[in-house]
Amino acid sequence: MVLPPNVSEADFSRALGEFRSAVGASWVFSSDEDVALYRDSYSIYWGEPEERVASAAVAPAKVEEVQQIVRVANRYGIPLYPISTGRNLTYGGSAPNMRGSVVVDLKRMNRILEVDEKRAFALVEPGVSYFDLYHYIQERNLKLMLDVPDPGWGSPMGNSLDHGAGYTLAAFRDHFSSHCGMEVVTPDGDVIRTGMGAVPNSDSWQDFHYGAGPNVDGLFAQSNFGIVTKMGFWLMPMPEAFLSGTVTAPRHRDLDALVQEVSYLEDLGLTGMPQYGSPIAQASFGPGAGAMASLMQNGWPSTEAVERFVTAQKLPAWSVQLYFYGPEETVRATWQATKRRFGKAIAGATFQDGEFLTLPIPREKEPTQSDKPRLGIPSLEVFNMVARNPQTADDPSDGHADLFVTIPRKASALWESSRILFEAHREAGMPARQNPFSTPFTYYSRCFWTGTTVPTWRDPAKNARSRALFQTVMDRCAEHGWVSYRTNPAFQDLLVSKYSFNNNSLLRFQEKLKDGIDPNGIIAPGRYGIWPAKMRKNRA
Amino acid sequence: MRLVNRRLVMKIGAATVAGALVNLRVLGRKAAPVQAQTAFQRAVFDERFAECRAFAAELNGAGVLTSAILGDVAKLWYYDLRGHLSKDPTPLAGLTDRPALFCLEELARDVSMRVIARVDHIMDPDEDQNRHAQHTAVGPVSLVAATRQLTTQPGFGRTMARLLVGCAGRTSPEKPDTGREACATDGSAQKRTGPFAPQNKVALVSWIIA
Repeated sequence: MVLPPNVSEADFSRALGEFRSAVGASWVFSSDEDVALYRDSYSIYWGEPEERVASAAVAPAKVEEVQQIVRVANRYGIPLYPISTGRNLTYGGSAPNMRGSVVVDLKRMNRILEVDEKRAFALVEPGVSYFDLYHYIQERNLKLMLDVPDPGWGSPMGNSLDHGAGYTLAAFRDHFSSHCGMEVVTPDGDVIRTGMGAVPNSDSWQDFHYGAGPNVDGLFAQSNFGIVTKMGFWLMPMPEAFLSGTVTAPRHRDLDALVQEVSYLEDLGLTGMPQYGSPIAQASFGPGAGAMASLMQNGWPSTEAVERFVTAQKLPAWSVQLYFYGPEETVRATWQATKRRFGKAIAGATFQDGEFLTLPIPREKEPTQSDKPRLGIPSLEVFNMVARNPQTADDPSDGHADLFVTIPRKASALWESSRILFEAHREAGMPARQNPFSTPFTYYSRCFWTGTTVPTWRDPAKNARSRALFQTVMDRCAEHGWVSYRTNPAFQDLLVSKYSFNNNSLLRFQEKLKDGIDPNGIIAPGRYGIWPAKMRKNRA
Repeated sequence: MRLVNRRLVMKIGAATVAGALVNLRVLGRKAAPVQAQTAFQRAVFDERFAECRAFAAELNGAGVLTSAILGDVAKLWYYDLRGHLSKDPTPLAGLTDRPALFCLEELARDVSMRVIARVDHIMDPDEDQNRHAQHTAVGPVSLVAATRQLTTQPGFGRTMARLLVGCAGRTSPEKPDTGREACATDGSAQKRTGPFAPQNKVALVSWIIA
């Protein structure tokens, strides 16, 4: 058994007894086999002393039980690590941030408290998954669409609090931005409600998110200032129709204009998450593999060499898929306007009509429907898609730790960041996936993400190489001002060290808050680098 | 209650595997379906794969309720299994691909259940009679031993059904395997791999979650 740090076996045993009194004996898990359920399946420290394993888990069913757990933890100095569904695997999954923490598994707090069709919001508890909320809406034929991540087995609350994102319109796919109101158990066992929830008898908790005075909701995302027990979300009214279309741009240098036009649509709220692609890069996974290898064999090529390469390949350099939601007349008109604008901005641009659907998707058609997440349908199909990973050949990894960095939404930043990622991989002695046709992720509409998925293993030696790669990539990117927006717990201290303006004044401010709000340091010590005073020496 | 069930299925599974191992050589592929009482009443199979379909056919003959998936286990889990298992966490068996087991293993935490036995079958990709399979078991020592007897030829789906089927009545606990693969009671069958398969191979897994 792993013990919480600086807690004796006797005290831990007493604390477990008090947890049992609070939630019932069958909802406290302390056997090795039960605690192992909470191991991070993708851990980059699997089987090593640094693996972040829990000492126990406790599953409360209501907010009063969460309060009792917090009070017990304060008495014994036991670190708690709350999870909703705990399935954000590349970012730590259900494992705690610090070894020896007690996982507070909120799976039993799984009530959908309210879904208002006319005002288009939901109020849920932490254990409600996207599947649960989707099913609820479907069963009642509510004219609402979810924005779901992929895979969809997480919870709206957990995904939002980790700054996760989805696929539809910008107003909805930034999941934290689209929340409205939360209830939080604070580290001293108190309960607060934010925004209009602080007003007794208010019936607009999920309508107006600010209330009055400082808005504190952000303190509870990617942090350790409390345990969120309820959260509201704005939902998308079910659009009448969905239409997709693809634009291609022939030359490599066309990316700048392509980005400008896509951003115009994004910023007006006219398209869902654009999907950038490159027909040339796609070909390099098949018959074009040799040509791409030849282009990259002497290092990062010049723009002239890239343009000559494009000409020789006889394929468009870029593509972007666009997704329109709304009344049929509107989506068709928007696609027509898109063709006009892109055709004017990019000589030689081509256009391919995509799928037109009337919504909602009939249930009988749902299983075979492609692009489920873009239609708000949660799915686990992504696991089948990634199961055969060409990057790992005959030696498949056991997981991955994602490293995405935020860059400006412009072609030059994509070119430069891809080059840095390419060179960082080479420096670390690892095969580089990046090339001049690498495309950005656009989960957040106002920026690009680019990055890599670092393989994780059950083999400590391989994990050591992966950690070295992770550090190299993060260091090199940070030298250019590009850092991640979230990361695996193993790298959270490293990540926040890159937010170093004015001698890390942001982190120092967060630590002052931590010391005031959670003086015993019981909530998720070290999460995103915020350690309580007594544990700051733990910082990696 | 959950632990009792888990230990019980380990004991039952041990007896079953021992029996199945003995019977393997005499039953052959055309033997009558297993009629024994099973330690699990439900099983999951991926109907895209012939071995999985054969696994299900064998279990149907034993009175086990089988549920088909096409890769994605989500609908089966969220709208069927989770509700039943949260009320009555009886063991569940399956022959699926790796991603399906990976997902089920993660999801089973919600009902405090875990993988107690698994046999990985790594196969050539061509769906024909000449494909070869390599089998690796983790779990009860007798399951590990029985798996070593499996040939590389197609047709292991029915055999795996027999190996996983439980026969009540034998309860002697097993000793841990002193070889590379330890007994499942120490948790060694838990979280063995990610969802990924070797390139150009099909990775199926027979498993018990309890």
